[in-house]
Amino acid sequence: MFWHNFSYSLKSNVRDKQLIFWTLAFPVILGSLFGLAFSNLSGTDVFDTIQIGVVNTQAYQADTAFQTTLAAVSKSDNTAGDPLFAVTQYASLEEATKALTDGNISGYIMEDSTLHLYIRSSGLNQTIMKEFTDWYLQASSAVSSIVAQNPSSASEISGILSKNITYISETKSNTNAPNDMLTYYYALIAMACMYGSFLGMKQVMTVQANQTPTGARIHLAPLNKLKIFASSLCAATLIQYISILILIGYLAFVLKIDFGNQLGYILLASFAGCCTGVSFGAMVGALSKKGEGVKTGIIISLSMLMSFLAGLMVAQVKYEAVKSLPILAYINPANLIADSFYALYYYNTYGRFFTNVGFLFGFSLLFYFIVFLVMRRQNYASL
Amino acid sequence: MLPELVPFYHDRDSKKHMTFVTISQDICHWDMMLRFDTLKTTKRVLYRRRKRQGGNMIVKVSNLVKRYGDLIALDHFKLDVAEGEIFGLLGPNGSGKTTAINCILSLLTFDKGEIEVFDKKMTPSSYDLKKDIGVIMQNVAVIEELTVYENIDFFCGLYVPDKEIRKNLVKEAIDFVGLGDFTKFYPKKLSGGLLRRLNIACGIAHKPRLIILDEPTVAVDPQSRNNILEGIVRLNREGATVIYTSHYMEEVEQICTRIGIMDKGRIVAMGTNEELKGMIRVGEKISIEFLAADPKDYVEFVESMPYIAAVEVQDRTMLIKTERGHNGLSTILTELQTKSIKVGRVYCELPTLNDVFLEITGKELRDGKEK
Repeated sequence: MFWHNFSYSLKSNVRDKQLIFWTLAFPVILGSLFGLAFSNLSGTDVFDTIQIGVVNTQAYQADTAFQTTLAAVSKSDNTAGDPLFAVTQYASLEEATKALTDGNISGYIMEDSTLHLYIRSSGLNQTIMKEFTDWYLQASSAVSSIVAQNPSSASEISGILSKNITYISETKSNTNAPNDMLTYYYALIAMACMYGSFLGMKQVMTVQANQTPTGARIHLAPLNKLKIFASSLCAATLIQYISILILIGYLAFVLKIDFGNQLGYILLASFAGCCTGVSFGAMVGALSKKGEGVKTGIIISLSMLMSFLAGLMVAQVKYEAVKSLPILAYINPANLIADSFYALYYYNTYGRFFTNVGFLFGFSLLFYFIVFLVMRRQNYASL
Repeated sequence: MLPELVPFYHDRDSKKHMTFVTISQDICHWDMMLRFDTLKTTKRVLYRRRKRQGGNMIVKVSNLVKRYGDLIALDHFKLDVAEGEIFGLLGPNGSGKTTAINCILSLLTFDKGEIEVFDKKMTPSSYDLKKDIGVIMQNVAVIEELTVYENIDFFCGLYVPDKEIRKNLVKEAIDFVGLGDFTKFYPKKLSGGLLRRLNIACGIAHKPRLIILDEPTVAVDPQSRNNILEGIVRLNREGATVIYTSHYMEEVEQICTRIGIMDKGRIVAMGTNEELKGMIRVGEKISIEFLAADPKDYVEFVESMPYIAAVEVQDRTMLIKTERGHNGLSTILTELQTKSIKVGRVYCELPTLNDVFLEITGKELRDGKEK
């Protein structure tokens, strides 16, 4: 009996075009739009050592402080990973200009009485070079003033400058490159999981005699409707799970979104998200006596609100929401789903991941318990 | 000059009651009347046979009370349905037919009363009883995303787990409702009549002993309606007991062996078609179209004739009711001819269940309006 109902539930849900649109097609389309919107931004977030040139002028040869500083930021150390700059010295201005024109370097510095930065285009690398030269000019000016007043502190100050520059390059200390875009994609997966609510709602409505004629017919069958409901839910969760895996596959292989390489945990987080989404829809379906349209409206509104707070529209919202109201991190299922992927990607430990997944399964159980309380009654006061 | 009249016998055994139809009536109407006549003959034979068998009570309902707030939907409702019957529950919309059915099926809670099906108390978890009950609800209850075959197989599967047995049952159900050419169609591709047939197939595929049909012919074209009614008689002939609710008196008259008339949540009259009609004063209802003269001028003249119960005029037509046991058509027509009155269409019909309902409750059966 379980398989009979399970197989027909699978068939009917897969053939429901509206359901498949919301649970699969819509997230894929939205993911593609994200891909188009973020395609120009993706390169800027991944940091590589910046190739720069220095013209070997007399002023440069004489400026040991600048040489020491450049050497400090061009040196790889264990904590900072790759160095900030890779410096190439050029004998003349022409050689440096040619290297810049050929694209071998992002820019070059020429020193006479002051530092001159030459670049051909704007971008993250050029901005960093500009920030570096500005910072050096300010710092060296300050140091010159200090040395003029107290000559014995010169060597100590040079050390401070080197340390400061090392500190600037520490942003590369994480295993994975920081990427705000991922927040959007994780929130998108969370939204897709929450859209599993449509499946959950449909399963409830199909077996509730006071909601659909089909429910009345099923109710009259010589079977406990909770058993029929359970097999329908299994089918719904499976469909939702497959939809999410297709979405993740699309994001990973077509849009080249990096999810890390912890496949087992990704599958677990996806499953927890699907269970939460489907059970949430079942709860809305069971609690509300309104028509399908109203229930659909409730589900869309709540799912979008949860996804918004998880950073679907503006990534910063995720952090601001949790900062303003920390409990949101634990009571917003969409945030829990997105954060599970986030934790997997950025952290080496699994504490945060398992906390999120635990909460998701907890919510699923809570939602199903509420559904059970509503559906356990066998007959109705009115239809 | 009288139009040519063709007699139509309501009861072929006695040939007592006849209706005259004019030759201008179309063939379809005539064909439909013949079909109804066949159904009626069949059901009488069946009813006599069941009566001889003695008939166990399949459904017993006593003192059922159901309230919706202050509204009493069922007021000490009583019902006994014997095995082999086609029991018709007739009443206007809102009289409590569907509520009664839903209570019998344990879909609805009720405030008071007892319900037994197959001699056992019916509860929501009476699965052993439910497996022998087939229900066809007023609203079509099928799954839009499954084909005709899949729908029947799915619902049949809730009763019959064995796949091989079910395969045959589904095939029989498809043949029974005549959906053989539509097995791969989705419900939304079916016409209203075919959809109703699918609805019936889903309810009867598991071959239940008791079939409950709640207004299955609402919004169905005449041809599909006939198919459905014939199907119900066939199901009954194959051994199923049927409870049939409707507010269409013609349908109930055609197929039901016994009829209960409902009003305001209780049964106000119960019996066979003939027994119910025997409860009222009216014998025949005669309708005469006046071609030239104004029928209002002859009301008193007709009223003065013997055994006339009532006379009414609607436009150019005079509606005459005779007293029960007296046939006045030929007398009236002869008298009108003596006055050289030219008449057009002439109809004569026996009292309907609507007349029974009207006389008992003072309301029209079809719309429940006070008369």
